Amino acid sequence: MSSSRWLSLVSPLVLIVLWESAVAFGVLNRVFIPPPTEVAVELWVSLRDGSMMDDVLISAQRILFGFLLGAIPATLLGIWSGLNRTVLLLVRPLATMLYPVPKIALLPLVIVVLGIGEVSKVVTVAVSVFLMVVIHTIGGVLQIDRRYFEAARVFGANQRTLLRTVAFPASLPAVVEGWKLAMGFALTLIVGVEFVGASDGIGYRIWQSYELYAIADMMAAVCVIAVMGWLITLILDEVERLVVPWRHTIKESRMPLVRTWWNAVRPWSYTAAIIPVLLGAAIAAQSVALNWWYLVLALIGSIAIQGGTNLMNDYYDYRKGTDTAAVKGTGGALLRGDLTPTQIFWAGIIAFAIGSTIGLYLVSVSGPFIFWLGLFSVAVGYFYTAGPFALAYVGLGEVAVFIFMGPVMVLGSYFLQIPDVAWPAIWASLPVAFVVAAILHANNLRDIDTDRLNHKRTLATVFGREGARLEYHLLVGGTFVSQWLLIGFGVVPWTTLITTIMVPLAWRLMQIAATEVEAAKLHPVLRQTAVLHMRFGLLYVIGWVVALWV
Amino acid sequence: MSHALPFCIVIVEEWLNVMQQPPLVRFEQIAVTYPNGVQALADVSLDIPQHQAVSIVGPSGCGKTTLLRVLAGLEHVSRGRVIVAPETRLAMVFQQGLLFPWMSVADNISYGLMVRGASPQQCRTAAREWCDRMGLQRFIDVYPHQLSGGMQQRVGLARALATNPDILLLDEPFAALDAQTRLLMQELLSDLRAQGLCGTMLFVTHAIDEALIVADRVVVMSSRPGRIITDLTPDFAGGRRADQVRTLPAFHAAFDHIWQQIKTEVSAQMHEGVL
Ligand SMILES: Nc1ncnc2c1ncn2[C@@H]1O[C@H](COP(=O)(O)OP(=O)(O)OP(=O)(O)O)[C@@H](O)[C@H]1O
Ligand SMILES: [Mg+2]
Repeated sequence: MSSSRWLSLVSPLVLIVLWESAVAFGVLNRVFIPPPTEVAVELWVSLRDGSMMDDVLISAQRILFGFLLGAIPATLLGIWSGLNRTVLLLVRPLATMLYPVPKIALLPLVIVVLGIGEVSKVVTVAVSVFLMVVIHTIGGVLQIDRRYFEAARVFGANQRTLLRTVAFPASLPAVVEGWKLAMGFALTLIVGVEFVGASDGIGYRIWQSYELYAIADMMAAVCVIAVMGWLITLILDEVERLVVPWRHTIKESRMPLVRTWWNAVRPWSYTAAIIPVLLGAAIAAQSVALNWWYLVLALIGSIAIQGGTNLMNDYYDYRKGTDTAAVKGTGGALLRGDLTPTQIFWAGIIAFAIGSTIGLYLVSVSGPFIFWLGLFSVAVGYFYTAGPFALAYVGLGEVAVFIFMGPVMVLGSYFLQIPDVAWPAIWASLPVAFVVAAILHANNLRDIDTDRLNHKRTLATVFGREGARLEYHLLVGGTFVSQWLLIGFGVVPWTTLITTIMVPLAWRLMQIAATEVEAAKLHPVLRQTAVLHMRFGLLYVIGWVVALWV
Repeated sequence: MSHALPFCIVIVEEWLNVMQQPPLVRFEQIAVTYPNGVQALADVSLDIPQHQAVSIVGPSGCGKTTLLRVLAGLEHVSRGRVIVAPETRLAMVFQQGLLFPWMSVADNISYGLMVRGASPQQCRTAAREWCDRMGLQRFIDVYPHQLSGGMQQRVGLARALATNPDILLLDEPFAALDAQTRLLMQELLSDLRAQGLCGTMLFVTHAIDEALIVADRVVVMSSRPGRIITDLTPDFAGGRRADQVRTLPAFHAAFDHIWQQIKTEVSAQMHEGVL
């Protein structure tokens, strides 16, 4: 940590110590200005009894809704006025005129029109956010260097393309700046609004403690507002990194942190974690009313374990040296050096820890079967590429994925709702098992040559290219055929036939897989197979849900 | 009399050539006056045949950029007309680069293709191909401001060439570069031409040596309002390799000739107190 950062930590600390001692030595009167320790105790108490959190959430909700309600139309209108003179002449004078009016002064008017209630508070926030964002956005669009438009026009861009590729991105920095200011403004405003016209929220809390003369409670609430403001800044900074990445790479030539992690944990692979859980619940819903709480926990746990698996996979692939730049799509963050191996490793451990904690809770409420299932899943996740018998390296990847991300997970989710090992649930999971194994196999088919070089044994390297193609066809074909058979046997409801609309995509993928040999050409097959899995899975689940009414 | 016949035949042949191959671009006595009254161009006529690289040199502010902007459709002529063969695709490399800062190098390069409706895969492939050709492989996914000036201009060049234009307009593309990078870029451009890319081009520069090295033909403009005062096609027999051309006596002769012209222009202006 640099010395400037130390200083910025030291100054508040010094202040707190001075303040505490001033009260202790009687320089400040404890009744009017309670010491930091007292405030801390008060804060702790209000956090423990949940009252503080309630107020924070209510205020945050008002801010968020007000912000969205104001910022979205303001951004669109602002861009439009920046591009169109007539609109500009209509909008700008009005906005600049209203802008300096203290927005709190609008509250009574809003209350007269909309009544005392949530709506009037949200609208008051929305109005001020709207004005702020509109003015900033207009400024941003007007400031765009005209020559960018000319350059785009020379390359043949029409009006719509200009809007999408120049006007919009070029004004984004100013827009986001407006969002940031407006958000800070919204926080200030909501506190004021809650002072006068609310019976809950953080502003109300301050006002109430003032009336009760509970100064420590009041200060605790102020501290909480400071933290809220800080969090909002943090969030908006990240939003800015995501929305205007070209602005930030100036200082540090790396991807925005959120995006780096987002890539590292490969969220698109989560459909593999989500769909079996949803499916298990949908099957169980045929006979019982769902326990939504368990379902949500199971989803979070499953996502955490999938994330952990991805991270561990990256870590060990990196260690074993299989992920070279030639192998696209995996371990990117590590290869580029955006994240260190240690960071990835610990993130994986944390994800597994979250997953297992949720798992243990679910075990405690539904019995040991889930325990074994959970243990099994963590083991599969860990040993997938780790350890001496790494499943993915001995050609068992597809088998493990087929069993685990199909029957085992579906049954687990089902079991949470109905504690019974039901064969129909296992059968019904087969189509999903086929298509999820197809994803992994598409990966192995693409990497067949590099994997051979690295002695990474997959079914594809064992069977050779022809065999691997056949296997891909069996897996993708098996998805649909198994489903149709199961419908024929009456295990799966006919309403799931909506998955048939995915047959053309599956067919196209099978054709590409049958003809292409280049990794670059096969890469889209991998991505599209994941898309197939997601769409097929969702449609299949929807089919089950629809069956509840049909 | 005995010499007249072959001479006539040559003229007829020339004429036939001209008839068969109309120029790709023809400026016909154009004049441009800006709304604020500044007259940038006065009576410029210029034909650019296919596969010819034409350099334009002239004193600062004489209307070189204006000429390119007229051709690119960014400026209206006040008089005269510009005739461009139908279906001609233009691409331009700008004086200040003007890469889109919000797009990665890849997206910048494939911009023209994207605008014409190429699929993301096609765009990506083209971007990769051009990055390879321009030595930008490692920078394909960075943003323009992370590149050095030379690299930025290479991206600008790639962005223009990726559209496979019929005529390439370059407005002092290397003016902001340091001397060495500039030499390298000139050689790069010569190499690209040797590969049959950017066959027809209009290259604006204020550096006479660059004009001679890069192009087949050099057009010299007067100071503002710009007119064409010299139009020469130097014959550097043999290769057009930049480092070879520089040593030829013909090169130095042409250089001096052009320099004298420009010097006269500029000093005349100085006397009038315009400069
Ligand atoms: N949009 C404009 N409005 C008014 N005057 C302009 C405009 N653009 C250029 N001019 C003027 O027209 C003249 C020619 O400009 P132009 O940019 O074409 O010159 P140039 O030869 O490219 O100069 P340089 O070598 O400095 O790039 C200059 O005197 C310039 O000030
Ligand atoms: Mg110029």
